[in-house]
Amino acid sequence: MTAQVGRSLPQLESEAKTSGSAKYIADLTLPRMLHGAVLQSPHAHARILGYDLREALAQPGVQAIVTGDDVQDAHRMGAFIKDEHAIAKGKVRYVGEAVAAVAAETEAIARHAARLIRVDYAELPAVLTPEAALAPGAPVIHEEFSSFFKVFDTGTDGNLCSRTSFATGDIARGWAESDRIFENHFETQPQAHLSLEPCGALADVDASGAVTLWSANQSVFRVQANVCESLGLPMARLRCLTPMIGAGFGNKMEPHVQPIVVLLALKARRPVKMILTREQDFEMVRARHPFKIRVKTGVKKDGTLVAREVDVLLDGGAFADDSPGVLGYSLLMSCGPYRIPHAHCHGRLAYTNRMRFGAMRGFGVPQVNFATESQLDEIADALGMDPLDLRRKNILREGDSWFGGQPLLSNGLAECIERVRAASDWSSPRARTAPSGKRRALGMSCAGHIGGLLSTGAIVRLLEDGTVALSTGAVDIGQGSNTVLTQMCAEALKVPASSVRINSPDTDGSPYNWGTTASRITFMTGRSVLGAAGEVERKIRQQAAEIFECAAEDIELLPGGKAALKGVPGKAVSFAEVSARAHWAFGGPIVGTHSWVFDQATVDPKRAVVVGLPFPRIGIFSFNATVVEVEVDDATGKTSVLRAWSACDVGRAINPRMVEGQIEGGFVQGMGYALVEELVWDGARLANPTLMDYKIPTFVEAPAEMHPIIVESHDPVGPYGAKSVGEIGINGVASAIANAVAAATGARIRGLPLTAERVLRATLGPGA
Amino acid sequence: MADRFATTLKINGQPQATTAALEDTLLTTLREGLGLTGAKRGCNQGVCGACTVLVDGRPMRSCLSLALGCADKDVVTIEGLSESRVTQALQKTFASTGAFQCGFCTPGMLVAATSLLMRNAAPSDGDVRKALSGQLCRCTGYFKIIEAVLAAAAELRSGRST
Amino acid sequence: MATRGGYHRPSTLPEALAILGEGEGIKPISGGASLVAMMNAGIVEPTALVSLEGIDGLAGLSSVDGGIRIGAFTRHRDIAETALLTGTSSVVADAARQIGNAVVRNMGTIGGAVAHADPGLDFPPALVAAGASVEIASPTGSRRVAAGAFFVDWYTTRLAPGELVIAIHLPKPEPGIGLYLKHSRVAGDFAIASVAATLARSGRVRVAIGGCGPTPIASEEADEIMSARRSKEALERAGGILSALADPIDDVRGSAEYRRMLIPRLLTQAMNDLSTRLGQ
Repeated sequence: MTAQVGRSLPQLESEAKTSGSAKYIADLTLPRMLHGAVLQSPHAHARILGYDLREALAQPGVQAIVTGDDVQDAHRMGAFIKDEHAIAKGKVRYVGEAVAAVAAETEAIARHAARLIRVDYAELPAVLTPEAALAPGAPVIHEEFSSFFKVFDTGTDGNLCSRTSFATGDIARGWAESDRIFENHFETQPQAHLSLEPCGALADVDASGAVTLWSANQSVFRVQANVCESLGLPMARLRCLTPMIGAGFGNKMEPHVQPIVVLLALKARRPVKMILTREQDFEMVRARHPFKIRVKTGVKKDGTLVAREVDVLLDGGAFADDSPGVLGYSLLMSCGPYRIPHAHCHGRLAYTNRMRFGAMRGFGVPQVNFATESQLDEIADALGMDPLDLRRKNILREGDSWFGGQPLLSNGLAECIERVRAASDWSSPRARTAPSGKRRALGMSCAGHIGGLLSTGAIVRLLEDGTVALSTGAVDIGQGSNTVLTQMCAEALKVPASSVRINSPDTDGSPYNWGTTASRITFMTGRSVLGAAGEVERKIRQQAAEIFECAAEDIELLPGGKAALKGVPGKAVSFAEVSARAHWAFGGPIVGTHSWVFDQATVDPKRAVVVGLPFPRIGIFSFNATVVEVEVDDATGKTSVLRAWSACDVGRAINPRMVEGQIEGGFVQGMGYALVEELVWDGARLANPTLMDYKIPTFVEAPAEMHPIIVESHDPVGPYGAKSVGEIGINGVASAIANAVAAATGARIRGLPLTAERVLRATLGPGA
Repeated sequence: MADRFATTLKINGQPQATTAALEDTLLTTLREGLGLTGAKRGCNQGVCGACTVLVDGRPMRSCLSLALGCADKDVVTIEGLSESRVTQALQKTFASTGAFQCGFCTPGMLVAATSLLMRNAAPSDGDVRKALSGQLCRCTGYFKIIEAVLAAAAELRSGRST
Repeated sequence: MATRGGYHRPSTLPEALAILGEGEGIKPISGGASLVAMMNAGIVEPTALVSLEGIDGLAGLSSVDGGIRIGAFTRHRDIAETALLTGTSSVVADAARQIGNAVVRNMGTIGGAVAHADPGLDFPPALVAAGASVEIASPTGSRRVAAGAFFVDWYTTRLAPGELVIAIHLPKPEPGIGLYLKHSRVAGDFAIASVAATLARSGRVRVAIGGCGPTPIASEEADEIMSARRSKEALERAGGILSALADPIDDVRGSAEYRRMLIPRLLTQAMNDLSTRLGQ
C-alpha cells in the first residue's frame, strides 16, 4: 500500500465537480422555499427615519419583509469589534448596504417588491477617505463606538477604529548606525475576491423555531456565531451546514447575507434562499483593504539592513470586520523575512463610508510586501548590488526569530531563493533582449506568511466495519482540505484513503474549527487529525492486546487496516474485528478526539513592544521567493508576464499537485492585483461592480510558463512537517512584477495596479 | 406576475415541456424549471462563462439565451455531455491533473473544452488559451486546465480512451 | 391594434416590421448578447420580442456586384471565419476575430452590435475604415447610410423607432490588407482604444479609431496624408489630426488623456505593421 502523504491524490470531489452534480448553495432547494432579495442603500451616510412597506407587502407572492426594526440595537456582530447589525439599523453607512429584504414566491417578485419599499432617510455628511474620516470634526460613523465589545481595545475613538504598533531594538540608534536611509511612499488599491460563486444562503425553520442554515461559507462556526450574535439567538437554536463551496479567498469567512436570510425565514416561517447577484457581491460584502504605506529603511553601505520604519493607513470601510487583524498582521510582516535589529512598524485603521474591507488572501501582506520589496530593489540599485544578493545577505536563517521574537522552527527561504535563481537563470542587470517595440526584464521578491491561529479539533471514529469516519469542521472551499486531511488520517492509521470518510462541516456534530482562512487547515486541523487518529490507534492496540493477551506496546498497525503482534507472523486482527469487539463486547466504540488552540507566542516581550496585536499567539511561518520575466509594450505600456518561478517553503507537501495549484492560483490572482484589478469609486458609489468593468486575468494573460517549486523544510511541529501554502504564493507577486517593470523601463511606480496607462506615463517621464 | 408561455425545449436529446416568462433565460429554465443545476450563474452578463452549454453544437452563454428563443434548438448541458467520449476523457484528465479547485467554473469549462476538442483534435497550447479565453477561473490560474485539455486531446488521439 | 406579449418569430421582414410597429415596448432581438444582458440587469424590460433569427435573407455573407453583403443576423464567428472578406475588407474580419471570446462570437450578430452602438465595440471603426454602409428597413421601404454617418452618439444611431438594420454592405475591396489593432486590459475586454486600418496596394489608406469618443473617429485629411506617404512624420501628423478629433472619456479602462496619447502611438504601430505585411 502506497504512502498517503506526499501523494498527489485527485480531489475527493472530482466526480461531483466534473459531472455537474456538485451542489453549491444556489443549487439547493427545499419544498415551499421562498426567494429573498435585498434593497440596498442609495446613500453613503444617512439616518433611517422610517420605512413604508405597504406597497411592497401588497404585492402578490410577498411573504415577509425585514428591516432594522426587526433586530435589536444591542445585538451586534463583528470579528474584532462588534459594530455591525444583521441589517442596517438606525443608519446606513455605505452605498449598497442592505437596508431591507423581501422573501417572496419567486426571485422576480422579491426583487420587484424590494424596489417598492420606501425608506425615509436624512442624509448625513459622508467621509470617503481615511484622511477625511480622521480629520478633526469629521462626521462620526459609529457614534456608540466606545460601547462596542472589542477583542482588543487600543483606546481609539471617533472614526479611528484601531491602531497597532510593534517596536524592537532602538530605532533612533538604528538610523544613527545606517550609512544610507531610504524613505518612500506607496499606495495599493482595493481588490475584489471575485470567487466565481456569488455569496448566498438558505435558511429553514422547524416547528419549534430552530433554524437550519446552509450558506456559502469558509466557517460554519463563524456563521453560527455571527447569526446568533446579530439576532440574539442561542447557538443551540441554530445549526449551520455546508454545501459545496465555490471558493472564498476571504470573502466568505465572515458574514454576508446569512443573518438577513435567517431573519426572513423566521418571519416567513418558510425556507428562504437568497443568492447575491454578481453586482451585489461586488458592492455589499467586502474587499481587500487599500493601504497607504510609508517605508523608511536604513542600511549599511554593504547592504546590511539596520533599521526599518513602516507606517500604514488603512481604509476599513463602514464596519470593522477583520480589519484590526489585517492591520496587525500587515505590520507583523512588514520587516519581511529579514534580520533587521531596529524596527518600529505602526499604523492606523479608519472607518469610512464605503463598503467594509476585510480578509482577502494575504491579509495585508501583499500590500506591505509591495512596498517593502519594491524599496529593497531600489536600495539594491542605489548600492550597486544585485537585488537577489541583497536579499540573501539579510534573510532570516534557521534558529532566527521573526520580528517580534517568535523563533523560526523551520526556514527554507534560502533554498527558495536558490531554486528560483537557478531555474530563472537570474542575473543582474535584469533587462533581457526583447522584440522591437517591447522591453523585457526579470524581477524578484521574497515573502513570508504566518498561518495558524485559534482553535480546531478532530474526531476520528472506527465504524463497525473497520472503516474510518473523520469529522473536523474544516470547510473545503476548493483548496482540497478534505482530500489532504483524509490523506493524513489514512497515513496515520495505515489504511487506504478510500477507507476514510470525511464529513461536511456541521455545527451540530463537527468539532469547533475557527475556519478556512489564515492558511491554517493543513497545519492546525492536520495536527488535530493526527492527534485524534493517534488516540484511535492507541485504542485499537489496546483492543488487540486484549485479544492477543499481550501488552499494548507489543501491537503495531499494519498497512490495510490491521493490528498485529510484533514479530509474530499470522497474529493479526482486522480493524473490523477490533471494532466489532469494541462495539459489542468490551471497551465501547472506538473514538479519538483532539482539540487545541495555537500555542506559540508571537511576541517575546523581552524583545518587542507591541500595542494592538490581534492575537497573542498567531501561527507558523512559510516562505517564498518569486522571479518573473515581464514584457512591456512601448506603445501602450501594457505589461505581460511571460514566465514565472515561484518557490514556496511549505514545510511538507501532503498533496504536491494541490500545493502546486495553490502556488499557481495565488500567482495569477496576484498578477491580477499587480496589473489590472482595481475597485474604483465614483464619489460614494462603486463605479465598476460588474464583470464587464472589473477584469481579472484570463487564459490569455496567464504566463506562457509557470514554474511552481515546492521546498520542504520539514517543520518539527507541523503534521508530517507541513506548514501552509494558501496565501504565501500571492504575497510577493506584485512586488516581483513591479521590480521587473522597473528594470525593463527604468521607471519605478509606487502604486498598484501597474496599469498600461500608469506604466506608459512613468516610462515617458514627468509631464507625460 | 409575468405571463408565462408554454414551450418545449430539446434538452440533452429529450423534449422537455416547460413554461417560461419572456425574460426567463435558458439558464434559469435549466436550473429552476428542469433541475439541471450543472450550468451556474456567476455573473448573468455573459462574461464569466460558468453558464456555458451547447446549443446546436456550439458553446453559448445560457444566461444570454432566452428560453423562449430556444424552442427549436438542441441544447446539451454538462449532464448530457457525460455520455460523450470527449467529455469523459476531459473529466478524467481534469481530475488527474488538478484542473479544478472549487469546481464552480468546471461545468462551463468542460463544455467549452469539449467543443474545442470536437473541432480540433490536436490543439496547441495557444489554441486552448484562445478557445477557452471566455471561461474565467479564479482558483487554478489556468495552467492545469491547459495541461488537462492537452492531455485529454492526446488520450483521444491515441485511441486509449473508450 | 392591441400590443401583444410574448416571443415572436416571424419568417419574413414585413411581418417583423409590422409587429415592431405595434408598440414601444416591443423590441427586436438579434443574437441577444447585448439585449439579454440588459434585460438581466433590469435596464430594459420589453413587453414583447421579435426575433430576427430565421427571417429570410437576414443571415449570411454573399458577394453582390463585386461588393460584399453581410446580413444583419450573421454571427461574429461567421464573419471571423469567412473567406469572402479579402483585401481591404479583411479589416472587418479581423475586428470580428477580436470581439469578446469564442463563445460570445457564437451568439452576437453584426446587426445587433451595430444597432446597439456601444462606442467600445469593435465593428464600428472597422466598418468605417472599410467604407461600409448600413442598410435599414422600415415599413415603407429601405435605405442605406454610410457607416460614418450611421453612428451618431453614445448608443445612438440613425435608426428611427420601428426600423431595423438588415444588412451591412461593403464596397468592392481593393487588393491589399486590413488590420484591426485593439488595446485592451485583458483578452475579451472592450478596447481602451483601437485602430481599424486598411492599406491598398495602390497605397490608399483608410483609418478609423475606436473607443475614443461617442462614435468612430475618421478624417479624410488624415487618410490623404497617409495615402501619400507613411513616413514617421506623416504618421505623426495624421495621428495628431485624429487625436484632436477624438472626444474620449475617463472610465475604468483608462483616462481620456491616455486615450489621446494612444492614438498616434497605436496608429504608428498599425501602419508599420500593415506596411511590413504588404511589403511596401
